[in-house]
Amino acid sequence: MKEIATFMVNEKHYELAIEPHMLLVEVLRDELGLTGTKHSCGIGSCGACTVLIDGRPVLSCLTLALTVRGKDITTIEGLAQGTTLHPIQKAFVEHGAIQCGYCTPGMILSAKALLDKNLNPTDKEVKHALSGNLCRCTGYVKIIDAVLAAAEAMSKEAHP
Amino acid sequence: MKTNYVGKSVPRVDALEKVTGQAIYCVDVELPGMLYGAVLRSPLAHARIIEIDKSAATRVPGVKAVVTGNDFPYTFGHMVKDQPFLAMDKVRYVNEPLAAVAADTEAAAQEAVEKIQVKYEELPAVFDPRKAAATGAPIIHENLERYDHSSMYKIVPGTNVCTHMTYSRGDVDKGLSEADEIFQNEFYIHPVAHTPMETHAAVVQHDPSGRVFTVWSSTDAPYQRAKDLANALGLSFNQVHFLSTYSGGGFGGKGAIVAEGIGVALARFTKGRPVKVVFSRQEELTASQVRLEAFLKLKTGVKKDGTLTARVAEITWDNGAYSSKGPEVARRGAMTIFGPYRTPHIRFVSQLVYTNKQPSGAYRGFGTNQVTWACEAQMDIIANKLGINPVEIRLKNFYQDGDRYINGQVMQAAGLRETLEKASQEIGWGEQYSRSTGALVRGKGIATTIKGTATPTDSYCFIKVNFDGSITVLTSSVEIGAGQKTVLAQIAADSIGVPLDSILIPNPDTHVTPFDFGVTSSRTTYHMGNAIRMAGQKVRKEILEIAADVLGANPQRLLLCEGKIMDKDSEHEVSLKEIMTKKYGGKGGTILGDGHYTPARSSIINAEHKIQWMGSIFWMWATHAAEVEVDTETGVVKVLRIAAAHDVGRAINPMACEQQIEGSVIMGISNTLFEEFKMDRGRIMNDTFADYKVASMLDLPVIVPIIVESHHSEGPFGAKGIGEPALSPTAPAIANAIFDALGIRFNELPITREKVLSALRERDPVQ
Repeated sequence: MKEIATFMVNEKHYELAIEPHMLLVEVLRDELGLTGTKHSCGIGSCGACTVLIDGRPVLSCLTLALTVRGKDITTIEGLAQGTTLHPIQKAFVEHGAIQCGYCTPGMILSAKALLDKNLNPTDKEVKHALSGNLCRCTGYVKIIDAVLAAAEAMSKEAHP
Repeated sequence: MKTNYVGKSVPRVDALEKVTGQAIYCVDVELPGMLYGAVLRSPLAHARIIEIDKSAATRVPGVKAVVTGNDFPYTFGHMVKDQPFLAMDKVRYVNEPLAAVAADTEAAAQEAVEKIQVKYEELPAVFDPRKAAATGAPIIHENLERYDHSSMYKIVPGTNVCTHMTYSRGDVDKGLSEADEIFQNEFYIHPVAHTPMETHAAVVQHDPSGRVFTVWSSTDAPYQRAKDLANALGLSFNQVHFLSTYSGGGFGGKGAIVAEGIGVALARFTKGRPVKVVFSRQEELTASQVRLEAFLKLKTGVKKDGTLTARVAEITWDNGAYSSKGPEVARRGAMTIFGPYRTPHIRFVSQLVYTNKQPSGAYRGFGTNQVTWACEAQMDIIANKLGINPVEIRLKNFYQDGDRYINGQVMQAAGLRETLEKASQEIGWGEQYSRSTGALVRGKGIATTIKGTATPTDSYCFIKVNFDGSITVLTSSVEIGAGQKTVLAQIAADSIGVPLDSILIPNPDTHVTPFDFGVTSSRTTYHMGNAIRMAGQKVRKEILEIAADVLGANPQRLLLCEGKIMDKDSEHEVSLKEIMTKKYGGKGGTILGDGHYTPARSSIINAEHKIQWMGSIFWMWATHAAEVEVDTETGVVKVLRIAAAHDVGRAINPMACEQQIEGSVIMGISNTLFEEFKMDRGRIMNDTFADYKVASMLDLPVIVPIIVESHHSEGPFGAKGIGEPALSPTAPAIANAIFDALGIRFNELPITREKVLSALRERDPVQ
């Protein structure tokens, strides 16, 4: 039996009729066409499907969509303001933190969750915050560099 | 030559799409009327199929097609045509596809799969390639000799030996008799998964008029896959149309027909409706392909001063149940087992054997991981026994410019020594340091590698200068994640003389983009780079001629730089856009330049008759130096630091080179210390990311990438390649460092904490 539910994704309201067993990753990708959220392991072990719910990183492949109705959901598509990239996106581009790009949306959202709480993270804090996001291409080095650079840029923006 | 882009770490041209979630991967393709596929897979490793009953499955609401091997009785194979799209008379590994369903929803397809009934007669299975090669082993392919295959691969009829080859040069008996010491060692390297973050996927549509299969795929070589599918189905090449999407990682794993084959079998029966097939992570880990497992024996004769006199190698490779690229891995891999070392007398025997396991195939390095593991561990064993510094023994035996390779090719070895010198210097080789703190013991190790590229192979491209001065580069080189689009755009921009942002490289489309051998073998920068350079020079020349005509100037006196045409005499400057507008007015027009690069006629690959194929148009050299810390109470090995020096010829984009090096180092650590399949009667027991562990950010050591530039005489701007060689030296460098720390030699991979701990316990029994 489908249920009608309202979702708030990237500050837009969507009213959808969905099956109660549908996962958030399925709703985002299949119902809303927000394919920036990636599916990879299906069991919450790789972080590719990470989205933010009320600012906290959540694995959308393990989340029943109905449990997050009405909450504030942010996907990778919601980060840039028009053509202006979010400082984390900008840092990923500039610091070579992207290769195949499949883990990138999840990495960026995990980084955002960290930096929204802590604008001055240590190398170790970045590693811990992003250790649930697997990447097979980059060797992680430039991702860490990018997150630290973004922290600095965001920190300057917050306290000019 | 002055360049504006080549040699600079420009940000990736595909970065914007990727950071905003707009990049379309194969799994993101959605088409009107699309159906979803699911696959029934074998629960047994080896069995005869008695009967498949699909009647209940066809009745599941929403099901549009249920297809078995009987319905679609074709086989494919890139090197040996041995693999059915869906199993026919037998199943040969656990999780081999037997039947597939296309339905309106994934759930309906999955439900139908569960309703297919199969009766099997189980057969004895064999999982160890050494046992499979022995007399009396269960035969996996009864009609092996009847399969179509290239004459390059020698099949042994009536056995499980898919290919057997021997090669010798010099007189090994003489070489061994000249030695002061002879070393004989055995090594083992395990199968590992590629684990691209995007699993295998395909969307396939069969044209209702029945003529063309259109395949959306993230494969690494659209032309090769289309060719193999056309060959399998008796179609012409243009009837299999590949459209490349962005690829969520390959590492060799996307170098075979995998999900594409299931998609094609289903699409044939869905009356024009497209079918999407996406592998689950379990399917990816158990039923795609893996790195070839290998058992290696090395016998080496050495003089007291460390000079190598002879080397004999025997390699048994595991092909798995079907061939993929195993035959070529076994051939090209074996060739480089003697390492980057001058060895006057050599002989190798390389055999590739079928087993009842998932197919093996290309894996970043194409056989180099396996042979480097044996070669470099043994170099360390020799150095230690003879009391020679491991760096010195390598320097002593390294190829030098002008030395001959095992097929007689004259080596260009510039850069090799420098990789060793820089990596060892960076790690502080030979310096005193504190080796132990309590239970923690440190050690350092070093390993060098040689990697060639498949030679000769061809790349073609077209460059289109559009009527507004924008540029489109048509190439079949896929952006697999390694930065192909960026590096090729940099080469195009500097070859033509236009800004980087005026260049667009669309994803490959085999109906439009010309032939390319594939993004494999670390070949794209060199081969496609050369093709683009040629095409770029052609369009540049034509632009200048047009400009001369429009401006009434002498074309010899015109320059094209950053999209601006300048008259050297008058210093008058006009933009490319203005010239194009003046020439083509409102009517439009195109300047087209083609490029075709092949190394076939290069004197660099001259070698002895009939064995030119062993050579390479360029050789990649790399040395990794590792420092590890072993916890002798827990067996945990922590890699602290890896210095990785690579001779790339010329770094077109230094940041992209660093990305390849850093990514390979962590992949190498993961392969060496963590990744291991646990098998029970052919079934992989750890088939998820929860228990097949790949390295995370917390496993990251300090990585020092070092780029050495030896400038290849025929490379585009001097470039060679970088994608593969950064993986192979990591494992032996770590193992050699562990030996340095503990005095314990591990000849079998992976080196898990359990193995380390049990070796320590054996050496120092608990009182």
